Amino acid sequence: MSDHKPEKTVKPPRAFGWMAEYADENQLLAAARQVRDAGYTRTDAFTPFPVHGIDEALGIKPTVLPWFTLAAGATGTCVALAMQIWMNAVDYPYIISGKPFVSLPAFIPVAFELTVLFAAFTTVFAMLGLNGLPRFSNPVFNNPKFDRSTDDRFFLWVDSNDKYFNSDKVRSLLEATTPLVVEEVREDESSEKIPRPLIIAILTMILITLVPGAIVLNIRAAKSGSPRWHVFFDMDFQPKKKTQSTTTLFADNRVQRLPVPGTIARGDLELSDPYYLGYDPDATAALTGQTGLRLVGYSQEPSEAEAIDPDAPPVPQEPTLDATAGGEVTASENQAGDVTNNVSPPEAGVQEPVADDAAAAVDPAAAAVDPAAAGEPNYAWLTEFPLTVDDKLFELGKAKYEQNCSVCHGFSGYGDGLVARRAAALAQGYWLAPTSMHDSRIQEQAIGRIYYTITNGKGKMGSYAASLNAKERWAVVLYVRALQRSQNASEADVPPGAVVATDAKAESQP
Amino acid sequence: MASIASPVVDNTIDTPGRRTPLITGNQTYTSVTHMVARISEEAQPAIWWIAFAIAFPLLLMFGALIGYLILTGVGVWGNMSPVFWGWPIVNFVFWVGIGHAGTLISAILFLFRQNWRTSINRAAEAMTIFAVICAGTFPGIHVGRAWLAFWLTPYPSLNLWMWPQFRSPLLWDVFAVGTYASVSLVFWYMGMIPDLATFRDRSKSKWRRMIYGILSLGWSGSSRHWMRYEKAYTILAALATPLVLSVHTVVSFDFAVSQLPGWHTTIFPPYFVAGAIFSGFGMVLTLLIPVRAIYNLKDLITPRHLDNMCKIILATGSMVGLAYTTEFFMAWYSQNPYEFFTFWNRAFGPYWWAYWAMFLCNVISPQLFWFRIFRTNTVLMWIVTIFVNIGMWFERFVITVTSLSRDFLPSSWGYFAPTWVDIGMLVGSFGLFTTLFLLFCRYLPIVAIAEVKGVMSQQAHADHRQLHGSGH
Repeated sequence: MSDHKPEKTVKPPRAFGWMAEYADENQLLAAARQVRDAGYTRTDAFTPFPVHGIDEALGIKPTVLPWFTLAAGATGTCVALAMQIWMNAVDYPYIISGKPFVSLPAFIPVAFELTVLFAAFTTVFAMLGLNGLPRFSNPVFNNPKFDRSTDDRFFLWVDSNDKYFNSDKVRSLLEATTPLVVEEVREDESSEKIPRPLIIAILTMILITLVPGAIVLNIRAAKSGSPRWHVFFDMDFQPKKKTQSTTTLFADNRVQRLPVPGTIARGDLELSDPYYLGYDPDATAALTGQTGLRLVGYSQEPSEAEAIDPDAPPVPQEPTLDATAGGEVTASENQAGDVTNNVSPPEAGVQEPVADDAAAAVDPAAAAVDPAAAGEPNYAWLTEFPLTVDDKLFELGKAKYEQNCSVCHGFSGYGDGLVARRAAALAQGYWLAPTSMHDSRIQEQAIGRIYYTITNGKGKMGSYAASLNAKERWAVVLYVRALQRSQNASEADVPPGAVVATDAKAESQP
Repeated sequence: MASIASPVVDNTIDTPGRRTPLITGNQTYTSVTHMVARISEEAQPAIWWIAFAIAFPLLLMFGALIGYLILTGVGVWGNMSPVFWGWPIVNFVFWVGIGHAGTLISAILFLFRQNWRTSINRAAEAMTIFAVICAGTFPGIHVGRAWLAFWLTPYPSLNLWMWPQFRSPLLWDVFAVGTYASVSLVFWYMGMIPDLATFRDRSKSKWRRMIYGILSLGWSGSSRHWMRYEKAYTILAALATPLVLSVHTVVSFDFAVSQLPGWHTTIFPPYFVAGAIFSGFGMVLTLLIPVRAIYNLKDLITPRHLDNMCKIILATGSMVGLAYTTEFFMAWYSQNPYEFFTFWNRAFGPYWWAYWAMFLCNVISPQLFWFRIFRTNTVLMWIVTIFVNIGMWFERFVITVTSLSRDFLPSSWGYFAPTWVDIGMLVGSFGLFTTLFLLFCRYLPIVAIAEVKGVMSQQAHADHRQLHGSGH
């Protein structure tokens, strides 16, 4: 109806048409048919709910609304696809999940959603637009009776703009359709002016909504000497002091603080404790006059451990013998403090390998070398175990020795492990025979020295610090001592009751 | 005046050869109008004020917690490696799921010509909008820097010089939930326009008349308007039907497109959609059973309506149960030990309590609706729907948290524990939801008056036809 409604152009009260009121939809339908049959086309009905059949009864044509929906939906699909392709494949292309830049399947969900979004909103707004809504002033509202059109009454309307409109004829026609009331709709005589308080309220609200934006714009545009005002810091500014700056918090005004006396830096504990070193660093410093010994250890140990263990070959363990016996001779001279595996080119060390401490005997050059000159460090070695020695530790040492050491040094410690035997069989010139634990030089070594060798490696043997922790290394030392004692025992070592027939055993051992 | 005389008191029984009335009592158009409009015209009952006095402080608490979160950071939540999607995402999926019933009732049931929807669709749609508001809050604050959440939208930014990543399901989710929220809102509003006009025309005070007059956009009930309106409604229903199914499908993609065992399954989209409808109807019943009692709408929202909804809950609850079982079957059938571990861990791992709470509430409890007493006794029905709500929350918890807490690297496995902020926000979101729903009851037409009248008219017509044989 609104499409056909005349605009309010005439000032004096005028009639817009006739309105008939009915009690139910069937009467309305009958009346509508009569009005239509009488030739009126500018008609309408006002009902509280959509009355079925009224379109046909009034001769209302179908709406074009679905075409709007179709066009909007198609637009939505195209916009979504174009947007995604342009944004993700053209303007800012990057590869993610190995998908192509134009990955159509991944673009479908958003394309679908935008299709629905565009179509739905267009449908609603097109419906309102075609209906001429919102429209707050409508002559049909002038009669208070019309309020029931949204409750339980049905109204039929004939517009005065109709081609055949004749006020009296329309009235008599409507009265013939058994309406409750027939009334002429006249122009509302009340003022058309919008009430002043309403205008003021609306303007005030508009102004208030503009205030935040105006403040922001002002701040952005104006010059100011004071620091910028941040709503969210986004970690641009943090309540902290930077290095080398000053503070009033401390008496010396320094931001950086010195460590508390006695502080040991993370990782440094192992560089200062005999338990980890195998020697007493302070006593060693006094002994050698080398105050920088700790620092040497500091720079040495970690690098060694890192450099060696990853692919430490299942090479032997106890080192020193090799140094004397094997090809390390040349290198040994110059390095006083270096016990690392400075693997010198061992062209000299050819050996008739195998078992016993043949090593010393085999190489004549080695025999000549004095242990001290061969790089034996002059440290204050520990002579007592820095942890409780018990059966558990022994078992641990046995297990670790057999896992890590026995392949070269042999289960009994004679340097006759499988690797050593195989190497001997191959007779390769660069092989250094593993040291026998029963070599007198090793037997005489302090336990700290043996621990140090396990920790740092010696000769061809790499460091085992990465494979064995400190406790395990001490356990291995314990086991080595036990091996030495077992192989070099006197009768006095045997518990009194157990001395039986040990002859065969004793003889078999060299 | 049309009126429907209904001698049948229990309209849950279908008598052959006779059309069962959808609304009871000798209702006329006026009485229906009055029944609905008086709710917003009269003073609210005491229980409304009590509920508001509880819900509104919870809403304020929700706002305060969001402020606390934004000022402090997401560390106030229990989200911690490896469970980076904790309660906020659980709550998001929970609320989005609830928000499915409204549009389902207005759109899908409309297309299937289920006339009984007319009494409940308005409240269900309102519930949908409010649930989606609750849902949208959580991802918005879950992004960490909530004040930059607008970066999710594809706008030309002078600061970023880049665009959103459209190959990510998380961005699909932004579009899906955004579209769903806005389309549901216009659908709801459009459906309300004629009823707002009714409110306007019944208004006694000038201000009330003006406000409802503006809200109803000058609706006059013209037949030409009605014709376009009905066409628009049908089109919207047709658009909203795939939309409602797509939303939870896309939400399930958030999980299913990832590689995590327990998430990476193709069953997720249908399983999520069934669960969403299930939870949505659960929440509709949870709300409408008290509403019809408090506002005395028992003639409009009849036992038949409740009965029908119970049947939908039963059907979708069984679908959800089937999905749970299928997941286990597939885990076994795949012969993939990791997949199997994931599901075994769900049911018998550290979160066994959540899994079995979910199973009990979602699969076992709706089976009670096989019994007629549970579909007709509103108290029993209400208790079951509470279980449904709890169960569906646990479902999202189980999916999100158990899968994440046992990811690929056993060394990073952890056990999720919520903080008081997590709990406060879940409770607070209920405060937001309830406050909005109470305000809706207070100010807006909670039943689609015009649609109910339309159905009354049709039914009167049909009864008339039945009475006089198939003459028409």
